[in-house]
Amino acid sequence: MQLKTRKFINKLFSGIGITSVVIMTAFLLILLTPITYKGLGAIFFSGTIEYRMLNYKEFGHGDKENIEKEFAKAKTARAPVYLQFDSFKKEVKKLEPKKRREIKNQLKEIKEALKELLGPFPDTPIPVLLRNQYGQTRWKNAQEKLHHVLYSEEWDYSDPTKPGIQVFVPRKKYFAGTSFESFFPYLEKNIKKMLLPKFTCYWQFLTDKSKDAHFFGGIMPEILGTIYLALGAMIFAVPLGILAAIYLSEYANPGKIISFLRICMGALAGVPSIVFGLFGLAFFINTIHVSNSKSVLAGSMTLALLILPTVIRSAEEAIKAVPNTYREASLGLGAGKWHSVWTIVLPSALPGILTGTIISLGRAAGETAPIIFTAAVSVGLPLKIWETLSQPTPALSWNIYNLCTEHEAVDEIRHVQYGMVFVLIAIVLLFNLTAIIARARIMKKLRG
Amino acid sequence: MHYNKKQSLVFSKKDATLQWLGSSIGKGFLFLIASFSAVIVFLIFWFIVKDAIPFFAEKGFKEFFTGTNWYPAAEPGEFGALPIFVGTILVTLGAIIIAVPVGICAAVCLSDILPFKIRQIAKPIVEMLAAVPSVAYGFFALVIFAPFLQSLGATTGTNVLNVSIILGIMALPTIVSVAEDALQAVGKDLREGSYALGATRAETLIKVIIPAAASGITAAVVLGIMRAIGETMVVWMASGNAAQIPEPIYNVLQPVRTLTATIAGDMGEADHVIGSMRYHVLFAMAASLLAISFLCNWISEWITTRDP
Repeated sequence: MQLKTRKFINKLFSGIGITSVVIMTAFLLILLTPITYKGLGAIFFSGTIEYRMLNYKEFGHGDKENIEKEFAKAKTARAPVYLQFDSFKKEVKKLEPKKRREIKNQLKEIKEALKELLGPFPDTPIPVLLRNQYGQTRWKNAQEKLHHVLYSEEWDYSDPTKPGIQVFVPRKKYFAGTSFESFFPYLEKNIKKMLLPKFTCYWQFLTDKSKDAHFFGGIMPEILGTIYLALGAMIFAVPLGILAAIYLSEYANPGKIISFLRICMGALAGVPSIVFGLFGLAFFINTIHVSNSKSVLAGSMTLALLILPTVIRSAEEAIKAVPNTYREASLGLGAGKWHSVWTIVLPSALPGILTGTIISLGRAAGETAPIIFTAAVSVGLPLKIWETLSQPTPALSWNIYNLCTEHEAVDEIRHVQYGMVFVLIAIVLLFNLTAIIARARIMKKLRG
Repeated sequence: MHYNKKQSLVFSKKDATLQWLGSSIGKGFLFLIASFSAVIVFLIFWFIVKDAIPFFAEKGFKEFFTGTNWYPAAEPGEFGALPIFVGTILVTLGAIIIAVPVGICAAVCLSDILPFKIRQIAKPIVEMLAAVPSVAYGFFALVIFAPFLQSLGATTGTNVLNVSIILGIMALPTIVSVAEDALQAVGKDLREGSYALGATRAETLIKVIIPAAASGITAAVVLGIMRAIGETMVVWMASGNAAQIPEPIYNVLQPVRTLTATIAGDMGEADHVIGSMRYHVLFAMAASLLAISFLCNWISEWITTRDP
């Protein structure tokens, strides 16, 4: 082969390698960018007066006087809308029957859409569901609902060869020539005055309970549940893992039994997470009855089994990285084996062990499958610490799944879903970042 | 040990016995803790198989592995899990097709091509990909990626292609880190020997280093396969959960259903009726999963320990 082609192949090869690293980076960015952007939207957004009213009434956030003043202003802006409705009712009766029917249908749709946009009509009984007691709390959603009021969604079948096309017809058209015609331009023009959108920082998203199945409020019970589960898993897995690692690296003589143990550890690491979930249900709950039904305790135990191999492996690596001279010096000074492990080897391995522990903490926080049958519920209150022994909890990972697949109004609470995913990823990546930085420092120290 | 007036550096017989006893008890205790993982593996195996046996005892193996009708909720239920096995194989295959080339190239690049400083930045990227929780990948697949596929013209966004790509991304970090370790383990002398003979870097890597690290790389691929097969949340959320064999089989735009997703999805309904076939069939699936994962584990163990 010519030198030229060989050089070219060499460059091509490097190029392919670098491309694949770039692809990997791109994957990470494609994944994280929308989630970060929209997830932050759960905390920073343009909130309407309805939002501020709700937040004051349900959670006690905000300044009462200001909000009431604002609400009064919004009410005066809304008054003509309702007035027009009332006056038009009389006018409808005078119309010819065919037109009346058509208009009545339109009016009904407008009324429903308006209820969603601005909240219940004045002087009507307060609806049962919290979500119907308020109008749109987020300006972005309000604009969508406004579109519903202004346009009717219809299907165009004019071309018989193609399936129907969705078109939006301005409702104004149906009311041409009536006094109600002016309703639409008025609403469109004054919607900002009616809702008073304002930039909001809802940091209480992290500390509020949710109201009405996550329509409003924050995700505190989920965050707390995730923390309980992850810490609980640590309590079980870390002592066990470190002791096992000490045995494997300091005491065990290589032989058949030890290699068998290692094979078992490898097998445990390879068990699919959903199988851990089934095992947790069949063993912890149905056989040894750590609790009557799902509980944080059972969930933590299941998660502990899942992360045990990781903890053992990282602890073992950390212990092995301690130079042998340390041990020899300690033994030479007359300390016993256990004494030198406990006071010399373990403290020097501690940073490394902590790094592995933090990474497994992140893993335990993010796992979903093992807690589905053992610990997670979709809706729940934040638990007190002693309740974790017997009560199930909502958790970020499970609720993300639940909200984006099983919730009754998936599209209306996208911001909460994104917020949850963002918070979960932030928690996990924060743990990992800590571990990565800590490890870099240890490496530097070891290298001298 | 206590020190009396006649201090001596030599243990009395009693003290020596105590010392020996203490250390062996301690050692035994540590051994028990270390063997805990082995105990757990056996417990898992026992509890899954124990609940799977009633299913196989009553229905036999034929319907489960070859039947194509999956109606566990019907009366009497039909438990043909072939479409579910095919679904699992399809998404895993798809994930491997995506993850293996990219993963191995990236591993080679990380271990041999990139300069040290850039490697220090690139490695955390791999770790972050591994750290992102599976439910977040699932959310991405369902809420962002599926509508995107649909906008490109797929009839449904939750299909084999979607899941394969996402699973491929998830399997990448495993493949990259294990393969990179294998490449690093080959050592400097082989590399230097090859360079000394006048080979370029590409030739060194392709003809010397990669063949020398082949067993480690294969183990990396097997571990990647395991990760893809065992993943639950992504396939549950984004595979469409239709228990059907795609028609034709290479049609990646059709929804499928996998073992893990079936267990996760059906258990919520089936655990109210503990003892029914519907409950036991899920354990039969878990047992199959467990068998696959043990097999993969054994293969990767065998490959890595086969040659010195």
